[in-house]
Amino acid sequence: MSEFSPLVVLPLLLWGTLVGLDLVSVPQAMISRPVVAGVVAGALAGDVEAGLRIGVLFELFALDVLPVGAVRYPDYGPATVSAVALGAGTPWELGLGVSAALGLVLAMLGGWSLQVVRRWNARAIQQQTAALAAGESRAIRWLQYGGVLRDALRGFTLTLAGLVLASTVTESVRLDRPTAVAFTLVAVGSGLAAAASSAFRGSGRGPRLKWLIAGLGVGIVLAVLT
Amino acid sequence: MNQRVRALFRLFAIQGTWNYERMLGVGMGYAAEPLLEDLKAVDPVRHGEAVVRSAEFFNCHPNLAGLALGATVRAEYEGVPGPQIVRLRTALCSPLGSMGDQLFWAGLVPALVGLTVIGVVLGAGWWAIAGFLLVYNGIRIWTGYWSLRTGMASGMRVGAAIGSSWLPKAMEWITPTAGFVLGATVPLVVAWYLDGFGWAAAVGAAGVAVAGFALTRWFGPGLTSVRFALLAMVLLLLFRRIGL
Repeated sequence: MSEFSPLVVLPLLLWGTLVGLDLVSVPQAMISRPVVAGVVAGALAGDVEAGLRIGVLFELFALDVLPVGAVRYPDYGPATVSAVALGAGTPWELGLGVSAALGLVLAMLGGWSLQVVRRWNARAIQQQTAALAAGESRAIRWLQYGGVLRDALRGFTLTLAGLVLASTVTESVRLDRPTAVAFTLVAVGSGLAAAASSAFRGSGRGPRLKWLIAGLGVGIVLAVLT
Repeated sequence: MNQRVRALFRLFAIQGTWNYERMLGVGMGYAAEPLLEDLKAVDPVRHGEAVVRSAEFFNCHPNLAGLALGATVRAEYEGVPGPQIVRLRTALCSPLGSMGDQLFWAGLVPALVGLTVIGVVLGAGWWAIAGFLLVYNGIRIWTGYWSLRTGMASGMRVGAAIGSSWLPKAMEWITPTAGFVLGATVPLVVAWYLDGFGWAAAVGAAGVAVAGFALTRWFGPGLTSVRFALLAMVLLLLFRRIGL
C-alpha cells in the first residue's frame, strides 16, 4: 500500500483486532482464517487481488496447524491483515514474497503473544482464587470479560505493530525485480510444502492416503483443464 | 432471553479466559451461570457449590463443550454427589477433545478451507468466502445447540448418548473427505500461482517445496514450515548479495 492514510489504517486496525479475537477467544467464526482475513483486508486496502493472493498463501501455512490441546501455533490473522496492507497496490508477483516475509514474522510474534495472554489470564485467575472458591458468579464474569479484553488488546497491538512495520518496509525496502520475484517463488514453494505436509500428516499411511491421492489426481486434471 | 440460549451464546466465548491452569474452566463457569440460576432459589448452598465446580479445570474441544456443560448442569439439578460430577467432567475431557479435534480441526475445517481455496482459485472470489463462513458457522451453531440439548437431556448418561449419536459416524468420513479436498487443492493452487512465471521459475518453486516438505518432516517441530520459509528467504537474500 503506497499510502497509509487514517481512512485505511483505522478500518484495518479494527479488522485486525476482530480477527485476533476470533482465533481463540470469541466467536471462533473463522474470520481469522487467512483466506477470509486477507480478502476483507484487501477490500479495505483497495486491492482485493492482493488480499486473495496473500490470504491463500497464508492459508497454505495455516493448514499445517492443528490447534489441539495446549499446542503452540502462529497467529496468522493479524499477520495476514498487515501483509495485505504491505502488498496492496503492488503487482502480486513482486509484492507477495516481501509481504509473506513480514506476515510470517508477525505470525510467530502472534503465537508468542498468545502465550503472554494465557499467562496473564492465569495470573488474573490466581488473584481471584478466594472469590472462585466462594462460588462468586460475579468473579467468573469479570475474569471472562478481562480475558476477552486482553485478547482484543493483543490483536490490536499486533495489527498496529504490523501496520507500522508495513509502512516502514514500504518506505525503506527496495528490491530489484528478479529478487522480488525470487522472494515470491520461495514464499509460494514454502507454502506448498506446508500444505503438502499437512495433507500427508492428516492422511497417514492407511486407506485415507488413497483418498488424498485420488484428490491429487482430480486436482491435476482440473488444473490442466482450467 | 431463554437461559439455554444465553448459555449457547456464552459457549461461543468459552475460550475467552483460556490459560494453562484451568484451561476452559472459567469459560465453562461463565457459560454455566444462566443455566444454574434456577438452582439458586431452590438450594442456595448447592448453587454455590455448583458454581465453584463449574469453573474448575476443564478442557475439551470448544464446539463440543455443550455436552459436558449440559450433562453437569443436569446432574447438579438432580442432586448427584459433587465428587461424582467432578469425575464426570474429568472423564469427558479427553473424549470430547479427541472427537472434536478430529471432527473439526482435522476434518471439517481443512475440508471447507480447501473447498474455499479451490473456489477462489477457480474465480468464485467473495462467493467462496461467504459460502465457507455460512456453511461452517451453520454447522458449528447447530453442533453447539445439539451438544447443549443432548447434554441437558442425558445428564450422567451422556457417554451413552455420545456413543449412539452421529459423532462417531461423522468422524469416520470427515478425515478422508478432508484428505481428498486437500489433495485436489494443492495442484490447483500450484497452477494459480505459477501460471505465467515460466518453467524455470516453476522448477525453482517446486525445489523449494520439496526441500521444505522433506526438511520439516525430517526435523519435526524444531523446523516448522514458517521457520523454513523465513530461513529460505534469508538464504535467498544472502545468495543475491553475493551475486548468485
